[in-house]
Amino acid sequence: MSKALQKRALPSKEQSLFKELLTLYETRQLKKGLKTAEQILKKVPDHGETLCMKGLILTNMAGRKDEGVELVKKGVRLDLTSHIVWHVFGLVQKADKNYEEALKSYTQALRFDKDNMNLLRDSAQLQTHLRLYESLVDTRHAILKLRPNQRQNWVALALAHHLNGNPQEARMVLEHYQRSLKNVPDYDIEHSETLIYYVNILEEIGELSEALSVLDSSAKSRSIVDRTSILQIRARILTKQSVPEADEAWRSLIEHNPDCYESFRGYFTYLGISLDESNPEAVTKLEEFVVQLPRASAPPRLQLNVASGDQFKKLVEKYIVKRLEKGIPSLFADLKALYVDKEKQQTIEGIVEALREEYAAASTLPASSDANLEPTTYLWTLYYLAQHYSYLSQPDKALSVLDISLQHTPTLPELHMCKARVLKRAGDYLGAARCQNDARLLDGQDRFLNTKFGKYLLRAGMVDEANSIFGLFTKKDAPSPAADLEDMQSLLFLLNEADAYRRNGKLNLALKKYIAVKKVFDDFEDDQFDFHGYNLRKFTINIYIKLLKWEDQLRSHPGYVKAAIEASKIFVAVSDDASIVSSLTSTSKMSDAEKKALKKAKKAAQKVQEDKKATQATNENKDPELIVPKDEDPDGLKLIGSPDALEQASKLLHPLTTLAPKNIDVWIAIYDVAIRRKKLLQAVGALSRAAALNPDHPELHLRLVDVKQRASSFPQAPPPPIGPVFTEAIAKFIPDDLSLETFNSQYLQKHSTDSHTVLAAAKALHKLNLPLADVENTAFTLFSPDVRLDVPTALSTVDFLASLKSSRLDEFRAQCQTTFPLSTVFKPSAELAPLREQVMLGSAPEPATEDTTP
Amino acid sequence: MNIRVAKVEDLMGMQACNLQNLPENYMMKFWMYHSMTWPQISFVAEDHKGRIVGYVLAKIEDPSEEGTTEEIHGHVNSISVLRSYRRLGLAKKLMLLSQEAMSSIYKASYVSLHVRKSNKAAIALYKDTLGFEVAKVEKKYYGDGEDALSMRLSLKNP
Repeated sequence: MSKALQKRALPSKEQSLFKELLTLYETRQLKKGLKTAEQILKKVPDHGETLCMKGLILTNMAGRKDEGVELVKKGVRLDLTSHIVWHVFGLVQKADKNYEEALKSYTQALRFDKDNMNLLRDSAQLQTHLRLYESLVDTRHAILKLRPNQRQNWVALALAHHLNGNPQEARMVLEHYQRSLKNVPDYDIEHSETLIYYVNILEEIGELSEALSVLDSSAKSRSIVDRTSILQIRARILTKQSVPEADEAWRSLIEHNPDCYESFRGYFTYLGISLDESNPEAVTKLEEFVVQLPRASAPPRLQLNVASGDQFKKLVEKYIVKRLEKGIPSLFADLKALYVDKEKQQTIEGIVEALREEYAAASTLPASSDANLEPTTYLWTLYYLAQHYSYLSQPDKALSVLDISLQHTPTLPELHMCKARVLKRAGDYLGAARCQNDARLLDGQDRFLNTKFGKYLLRAGMVDEANSIFGLFTKKDAPSPAADLEDMQSLLFLLNEADAYRRNGKLNLALKKYIAVKKVFDDFEDDQFDFHGYNLRKFTINIYIKLLKWEDQLRSHPGYVKAAIEASKIFVAVSDDASIVSSLTSTSKMSDAEKKALKKAKKAAQKVQEDKKATQATNENKDPELIVPKDEDPDGLKLIGSPDALEQASKLLHPLTTLAPKNIDVWIAIYDVAIRRKKLLQAVGALSRAAALNPDHPELHLRLVDVKQRASSFPQAPPPPIGPVFTEAIAKFIPDDLSLETFNSQYLQKHSTDSHTVLAAAKALHKLNLPLADVENTAFTLFSPDVRLDVPTALSTVDFLASLKSSRLDEFRAQCQTTFPLSTVFKPSAELAPLREQVMLGSAPEPATEDTTP
Repeated sequence: MNIRVAKVEDLMGMQACNLQNLPENYMMKFWMYHSMTWPQISFVAEDHKGRIVGYVLAKIEDPSEEGTTEEIHGHVNSISVLRSYRRLGLAKKLMLLSQEAMSSIYKASYVSLHVRKSNKAAIALYKDTLGFEVAKVEKKYYGDGEDALSMRLSLKNP
């Protein structure tokens, strides 16, 4: 017996105790298991495997995780050739989501027990999760060799080959598997899914006729039971083969679900008729479906895309009248995509305005005189027009239409929501929130209206109020409404609350919420783990492959992109100016009300913690994942003060280089972080990527000035090989003989009517240390009549001038107020207090209507 | 609006739609679990920009796996349509597609669902438009203490 084995061997009593220990762990009898482990260790204190098991048990008990991990590590050191210790170590690492390390431990364990099914299965899961498809093939092979009778092992190997980029191998495995199949029960959904997978692989490798014949024979024998999938695959393959049978295949798909746009697109692609441009042939063909399937919504709507001129006018009028009479609230949302075509937009405006006149006249007649016209038709017409004018940035017109409609029917929430939207666009965030409250008050049971109001409160900066409004629909037993919404992974809430904190200057809390968004995506990534085993057991391979693809693209989601960029901006800001953190930390600035609120929140949080503790004490065996750890950093102050702020920012942005490469803001953010981390090549690389997307982008202009300034302030040129590349890259953007002042004024001249350009040029002047008066003068050119200024840009300019302590700030605000007469966001804060109060009360019951004659 | 079977890429949109509309909410893994187990019976409605404006999330219950004699049936876990997209008949269309798939793929003999006793509009849709019947009342089914109507519709051809 080797030394290691001698050390591992236990006396016979302890040996049976150890077996018991394993069973106790597997059946989750943790307390008993712990006692048993301790009993063994009394006799054999250095027994590695027992120490590991004890550690493993402790990691599953509340508050003893660290102790457990230490024990496991100790156990491993004491018995390096035991598969049990490595297996346990792997389990602990896996539970900690440290998948790379877990796989290493499993690989070690397999060295000492190569045919262990549990080890192999877990390894395969880890390899899939880590996308190590080459080694996955080996593992799946090993599993199949050990258990060739299990059907899923064949499919698993095929899938591994497929994922590893080898569909040919996958095909062979599946064919081998099918030959070996006996006695498949009729109507077996698992077999059906496997056959569809096989057909998909055949299609992928271009064996179209083979794919089709398998599909057809399986459909006939009813081995494939999913009729919609059969129809879809058939239509797709027949179209690729461009054979006439495709016609019927598409038609059956359309008849099966006539509201599916993809089927129409597929059919028209097959026919060679474009649905993406004006096309009378398409209108005619679609008309067949309009007649044949009168309830289908897609054909008449698609007609509007491809019709033009008088034909469009005729069709759209019929379309609109029908829906106004039915009172379809989404009509505008449905049609606004057509507005990219200016002519169509004007046609629609003409039609709806004419309808309005007609209906208005009818509505003044006695009710009995026109039996066909419901009074609501007139109302929906006004609602349409309000949305139309709001969309076209004509808030006055929109509001006057809304006033008429609200007098007609003050109880329709949609009208109040529409008014809210108009005011929001016009820069009156408080009035917008107030109107959204009016809508909510009309139907307090509707969470949709409630959510909208909460969102508008956040836009108006009223974070506390928003949280109590959200709380009307969140779980009552959650620590707070915010905690429930975060647990439920509400990106809408997290992003809007983060933005609200950011605008309110609470960067620590904003950052905390942006990072919470990042964590939601981390969870989504983690969520796939269990399915690596589950879907194979269920044979739902086709959807599983799509899950993997989706997970690989996960962080291209606009929610992640936004959170990553905003968080990185905050990290950059605090790394430039450490005083931001210290001023956020000092609570001296807090008002009494805020202090009170904080105290209350702390008390509530404490109570929740205590309640939790109480339940924990009674339930020690509880799954540790269910135990909510105390938030050690409730205000995000630790987070915002992280010494590695820039590294964190860099990590957040990293996935976006491949997942959102068309987003210029991504490259700007990457530059900002890279240049501060002295990653010079990455910095200029990001600028090149940004320039390729839009060379005149205002944020890029500022970064070009920035990089040039930084380069000239280097005490000495950076050394080769990087230095020369860096310098040359900059010279490509800004020639050496061009001064930055000239560069900036050339830029401004090029786009002097674009408000973003003007603001960027003003900021650049400041960067170049030009007199404040010059900066201010440039900023004030935003008000010249040929510049198209919008509310957000005006607000950014206000912030910029405030940061310069400009003496002309009030003057600037006043001019904004004149430019945007409906806005409230430029008013001095003293004037806002009563408006804020009004938000929660709602509008006066009788809206104070001014004379609205145009 | 475009109506089609739910894809993996739709799950986030479905989750968001649910959170905006209904008080019963679920974490992503729950949505994934349904899609990964019964990929053919949940459906979505999307607007022209691809935003999910309505969905039905469904599952299959196979009691034979638990050794009882009850029949295989479908169950609608959650269905909702954003307020601004109502009156288009989306809920009805979503339900019909789901029912068809439950019946043809899984041989479900009936479909069941729970609805708040106070939700008149939804009850009318299930009863009058789709033909559901009340099977029983479940007391205090919802977190806030409200009763649920447990409703059923036979999927067997008459």
